[in-house]
Amino acid sequence: MTTSTSAPRSPNLSEVPGSILGRDSAVNKVLLRRSAAARRARYSTIKIWVGAICAGVVIIPVVLANVLPLPDPIVGQLSDSALPPFSPGHLLGTDPNGRDLLSRILHGGQTSLVIGMLAIFVSGLFGIVAGAAAGYFGGWVDTFISRLLEAQMALPLLLMLLLVVALFGPSIPVITLVIAFAQWPEPARITRALVLVEREKPYVAAARVLGLRKFSILRRHVVPNILQQVLVVVLLLLAQAVLLESALSFLGAGVQRPYPTWGGIISDGRELFVTGKPWLVTVPGVAIAMLVVGVNLVGDGLRDRVRRAKGDQA
Amino acid sequence: MPQQTPSRVSPSDQPARQHSRRSILKFGSLAGAGLIFAPVLANCAGPKSATSTSTGGAAAAGGALSIVLNRNLVSLDNKLNQYDAAVTVQRAVREALTRIGDKLTPELVLAESFEQTKPTVWTVKLRDDIHYSDKSKVTVEDVETALKLYFEVKAGYVASQFPEQPTFTKVDDRTFTLTTKNPVVSLNSLMSNILITPAKDNKPEELGTGLGTGPFTIASADSGTGTYRLVRNANYWGTPAKLEEVNVSYQEEEGARVIAITSGQTDVIDTITPESAASLKTNSDIDVIETPGTRLIHLFYNFRKPASSPLANPKVREALSYAIDHQSLIKALMNGQVTSAEGVVPTTLAGFAKTGDYVYDAAKAKQMLADNGAAGLKVRIIWEDSEFAGASRVLEAVSQMFAAVGVTAELKMIPKGGEINAWRRGEAGDWDILANGYGNQTGLALTNLQGQYGGTAEKEKTRDTYHGFVFPDITALLDQAAAESDEAKRTDLLKQAQEKIWAQWPAVWAWTPNNVLAKRKRVQSLNLRATNSYDLAAVTVSG
Repeated sequence: MTTSTSAPRSPNLSEVPGSILGRDSAVNKVLLRRSAAARRARYSTIKIWVGAICAGVVIIPVVLANVLPLPDPIVGQLSDSALPPFSPGHLLGTDPNGRDLLSRILHGGQTSLVIGMLAIFVSGLFGIVAGAAAGYFGGWVDTFISRLLEAQMALPLLLMLLLVVALFGPSIPVITLVIAFAQWPEPARITRALVLVEREKPYVAAARVLGLRKFSILRRHVVPNILQQVLVVVLLLLAQAVLLESALSFLGAGVQRPYPTWGGIISDGRELFVTGKPWLVTVPGVAIAMLVVGVNLVGDGLRDRVRRAKGDQA
Repeated sequence: MPQQTPSRVSPSDQPARQHSRRSILKFGSLAGAGLIFAPVLANCAGPKSATSTSTGGAAAAGGALSIVLNRNLVSLDNKLNQYDAAVTVQRAVREALTRIGDKLTPELVLAESFEQTKPTVWTVKLRDDIHYSDKSKVTVEDVETALKLYFEVKAGYVASQFPEQPTFTKVDDRTFTLTTKNPVVSLNSLMSNILITPAKDNKPEELGTGLGTGPFTIASADSGTGTYRLVRNANYWGTPAKLEEVNVSYQEEEGARVIAITSGQTDVIDTITPESAASLKTNSDIDVIETPGTRLIHLFYNFRKPASSPLANPKVREALSYAIDHQSLIKALMNGQVTSAEGVVPTTLAGFAKTGDYVYDAAKAKQMLADNGAAGLKVRIIWEDSEFAGASRVLEAVSQMFAAVGVTAELKMIPKGGEINAWRRGEAGDWDILANGYGNQTGLALTNLQGQYGGTAEKEKTRDTYHGFVFPDITALLDQAAAESDEAKRTDLLKQAQEKIWAQWPAVWAWTPNNVLAKRKRVQSLNLRATNSYDLAAVTVSG
């Protein structure tokens, strides 16, 4: 008797009743393109590109201000007082003191961006550390940090900033720290929420079983996993930091004269707005708007991508 | 049973795309946003017409006038708060024994006579026909109480202009005397600032409401918002006011005030900047009135610096004056609406003596600074926000001019709110130059000179001098002038004092801005005085 041991034949799925294999799918490319997921993907790409262009139009000249052939932003000729845009030698015109407006906006932008970047670095760092500690360690650490967050968020932000600047005097370090102090709750809250989710995952339990200390688990495993999402939130704070710095300067609590700031240029130009010199307000206003819209769009786009990536992983 | 095979559906065979819920929602959102924002945008597109406002278009019998001041009129009393434009409104409700007239000389108001009967005694007789808006009589006791309370109020602006508090003595129901230890020849001018209120209602504080003898009465008052409604005093003892009603408010933002007058929301705005004045002159519905002013604005040195400081040396102070290109500043930043000082007080004041001109000579400034060991000098300039029109721009230009002669200037703007007083007294921090305005409501140079340059060591102990300016010989000359009844001798003494003050180079630069007021053409008979005020009772409106 011969026994043949041939491998079991795998069934032809196309022949299985009810199977759609072997037939054309009703979900075609057109429908796929119209799907919500595809639309979100397209929108996030568009947001990132438009945002990058808007922010780049402002940030790149601001960064290059010191190497561009621009007049001194502080010294002007009174004989060139309040020239309109496209005047010879002054693309965006001059202010009443005869100083080149383009130069002042670009150099003022450096001040705003430096303060903004430093502020989000400090607030991001502090927020991530505090939020991660609150989320992972829990207990009294979480209680203390959470109540601190809530207490600060209950305070009127701008009034508090003005008070601190009035107490310590307006300087770049003070304004930076003040804005950082105002912004740390946002990344801290996000970090805490994400860490609360991460710490319950099996890889954390595995690390614990392997004998890693709590701090090491947090630093080496948990934080790297949430960093991408938190950094997007921190990036979004840049726009808010620039706006806060401009608001403080507008109210006279920013960097002191004669150094230009966006808020200061607008504040100086506001009373001339109705007297036929609108460019002193509109041009720096447009610069602020483009930067803020640009950064927000980039941040939004990146956030959408991060969500999608996390969704794909899941 | 035949199996139905699904066939591929080509895109072209698909039914035409229907309006999805999303597209309907999008359209709905856009339409909704349009409905919401269209009226807002339409409003932003241009100023409102006069007919949409409550007072600007009013054309009742006598008419209503709307005034928007640039500073909050905290009260209708002047014990603490008397800036130029406020005088107009305050005196429409409360009057004094005298007033400073169009020629900057004292004129009688509630007093029938105000005479210096002895060197140290002034005899005053009240008019027989004066009374308050409730028809109650003005008594000698009311004047006594008013004078006393002006001196009782803390940090009073008016009282500080008196060399000493006069002693009040009642003679009869209408007559009294004011006696001083030393002769005060300008007492009739100084008394123009003492506003009379019924004694029982007067307090050592600012009065927001209450009775007065003026051509208007207070219908409503809100000192918090600086909003007042005055109505014609039907019982006024003098010539009744032409206007039926006056509405006073304040708006700090210059641009908002300009929009208010161009749109017809208000009839009068005062103390406007040169830029706004130039812009409003092009508007056919608006008149811009300019008169020479009595307010001196100067970049005053800190005379409390130690002897080791370079700024304690008059030569260094003089050198810094040469660094200021004031003609360029006047042309570019002040629209030609100021006059560079030719002495230490405004030229409009009685008793002014020309002592010199400010000259721009950067090379000389540099040389003098080097000769006096002040090359590379660093100074800190302070000023209160909006102390004068375009203050920040002017001081930024000054710092550039200093930089051109090797002097580094740090600019520090003090926000509004009273902190400047601590700085001025040297309690909040050190400074070198203060940009400050000094008003005058008496028309007399003597008032400015004594207030600014009549400091004594005694006063300096409490920091009550004008930024430490204490020169006993100058103070002695001013005291002599204040006591001198002979006008020629007094003028000579004042001239000597002014020359001595000028020799000290008390200011980097000083100037007198013109009083600039804008009114709609329907407002008539508005006579702006050098003191930056006008008689509200004489104003009329038409249309």
